[in-house]
Amino acid sequence: MTVSGFRTIDELEDALRGADYLPDRGLSTALFLALALEKPLLLEGEAGVGKTEAAKSLAQATGSRLIRLQCYEGLDVAHAVYEWNYPRQLLHIRAAQEGTVSEDELFGPEFLIRRPLLEAIDGDEPVVLLIDEIDRADEEFEAFLLEVLSDFQITIPELGTIRARRRPAVILTSNRTRELHDALKRRALFHWIGHPSIEREIEIVKIRIPGVSERLAAQAAAFVRELRGLDLAKPPGVAETIDWAMALNALGRQEIDAEVVEQTLGSVLKYREDIEAVRDETLARLVDSARTTAGA
Amino acid sequence: MADAVVRHVVTFGRVLREVGLEVGPGRVADALRALDAVDLERQEDVYFSLRQTLVCRQDELDLFDRAFNAWFLRAPVLPPLRTAPSPVAQQRVGESLADRARDDGERDDELGDPLELGASGHELLREKDFAEMTPAEYRRVKRLIAAIAENRPLRSSRRRSSDPRGDRLDMRRLIRRSLRTGGDPVERPFRARKRVARKLVVLCDVSGSMDAYARALVLFLHAAVGSGPGVEAFAFGTRLSRLTAELGTRDPESALEKCTEAVTDWGSGTRIGASLKEFNDVYGKRALSRGAVVVIVSDGWERQDPALVGREMARLARAAYAVVWVNPLKGNPEYQPLAGGMRAALPFVDRFLPGHNLRSLEELAAVLAGIERRHAA
Repeated sequence: MTVSGFRTIDELEDALRGADYLPDRGLSTALFLALALEKPLLLEGEAGVGKTEAAKSLAQATGSRLIRLQCYEGLDVAHAVYEWNYPRQLLHIRAAQEGTVSEDELFGPEFLIRRPLLEAIDGDEPVVLLIDEIDRADEEFEAFLLEVLSDFQITIPELGTIRARRRPAVILTSNRTRELHDALKRRALFHWIGHPSIEREIEIVKIRIPGVSERLAAQAAAFVRELRGLDLAKPPGVAETIDWAMALNALGRQEIDAEVVEQTLGSVLKYREDIEAVRDETLARLVDSARTTAGA
Repeated sequence: MADAVVRHVVTFGRVLREVGLEVGPGRVADALRALDAVDLERQEDVYFSLRQTLVCRQDELDLFDRAFNAWFLRAPVLPPLRTAPSPVAQQRVGESLADRARDDGERDDELGDPLELGASGHELLREKDFAEMTPAEYRRVKRLIAAIAENRPLRSSRRRSSDPRGDRLDMRRLIRRSLRTGGDPVERPFRARKRVARKLVVLCDVSGSMDAYARALVLFLHAAVGSGPGVEAFAFGTRLSRLTAELGTRDPESALEKCTEAVTDWGSGTRIGASLKEFNDVYGKRALSRGAVVVIVSDGWERQDPALVGREMARLARAAYAVVWVNPLKGNPEYQPLAGGMRAALPFVDRFLPGHNLRSLEELAAVLAGIERRHAA
């Protein structure tokens, strides 16, 4: 019944590496257990640590289809589960002879528009269902989701109950803009993703940017690590390290210096105050320190 | 699975419960299933399997680590993280609670229902400064405070419900009705966006200079938190404490008690800028303030650099829908916002209100109910 047949965490880890994703042991354990226990996995962590990436890579590693439900305030059943195709329904009534269309016919499967949740449970192929930023959906929707994730079934009043023939692997992500309901948390495994170790981050940069020099990857990772140690409004995540290393690489750089950092700071820091704070005092010192760490 | 492992995990679950984690039998069962699936030889895998099944909150990870180390690695158990309130603070809390308890017991009946007070008495009470109220008067305004806090700012939701004055057709209904008329939509049912409460974030200064007002305002906060989802409350003095959970309890007096426990610096100096910065860094980043009406309750006495207050207010104002500053000192007609912190903050404030008595809290509630972005102060 599982999405995949990994027997050990190592096997899954290898498959994720094959999908260019380098999880640490904690995350691979979490993903492995989500598959083995068939439980939803709730991933939390600072922005940019790779929560959404984890789900995408799991889909790739397991040869599953990724179905993504991006949550937002006001997300409702019509956008998340299903909607009726009204124009087609109207045309159908018009086209039929008067009195021959019944409600049953009109609210049948052929007029149903399937949104992510229905799509994820009502299929035969293996699926990774990513419910992204669940904290942005309102509590009403969270309660609804709880039902779906408990029973893996969805009831459409006109059609009846649709049960999953095959459970999707479910990854929920949250940025903790609000605390999620305990009931939802109880049903899920929980993993907190921290920033990666410097060695891992260098590996990630290298795997994501083909042709990047070892030295540039190491210095970029070391510099970002320095930035994370500062008191910034938004410390850069792995995504920013990759963006930045990509920019440096595109400029043909083999290593960093104060000048190029100054020019490209915008791809690693996203707040004006942060950029100014770093520019003002600490830029040269950080570059020196990063170069030393990276063994320039 | 070996009996020894099962016993070990079940006992560990109990250890976690003792340190305050909510570990039910379902979680322990999950932990056992997880250990069954991984290699027990590898300590790291055992650690993560237990953590991911037994813990569901980031702020509990530290407790879990301590317990795990103590239980599985036989490390000495470290003292708990939370610092106890200082003896002075405890004493103050004890005294004030004793005052209230005495007062409640003796004279409750004579006072009658605060909502049925005579008009003149009621009027006097509305105008009286919180700092000058007797405990009895204070208790009389309590329920009035609770009643006015329930006015919440509204915003349009994306969700729609059936409404004849709505702006969108209710298609499902329209299709059903069209069946009778051969596809002609003779009747046109509509749907409208629902109005829902806007997020409300209240940051309340509980430093020494605010003591008298903080008590009344905590009652206001309590009622606001109880008015529905989307209300967050914080207290600050020298540092910031999130009080939403504490205020979630039903009785405002015990909530107040819990607040004093949570804010260990109750009654000490003020660091407005640093507290705002902490709010922006930790909660603003998590979009707590985005689109919210943020109410800051403080007299604006900053012990440190006022420039920091300005910078953090600017950040806050950018994220928030509107910022309201409630300053009890403004109740005095001669008050001028000359204190450095207050002056630095004002350019970023949409509404600047007093908050020293019941009438001014009513004004606050009215402002909150109808607030628009970027009001002139």
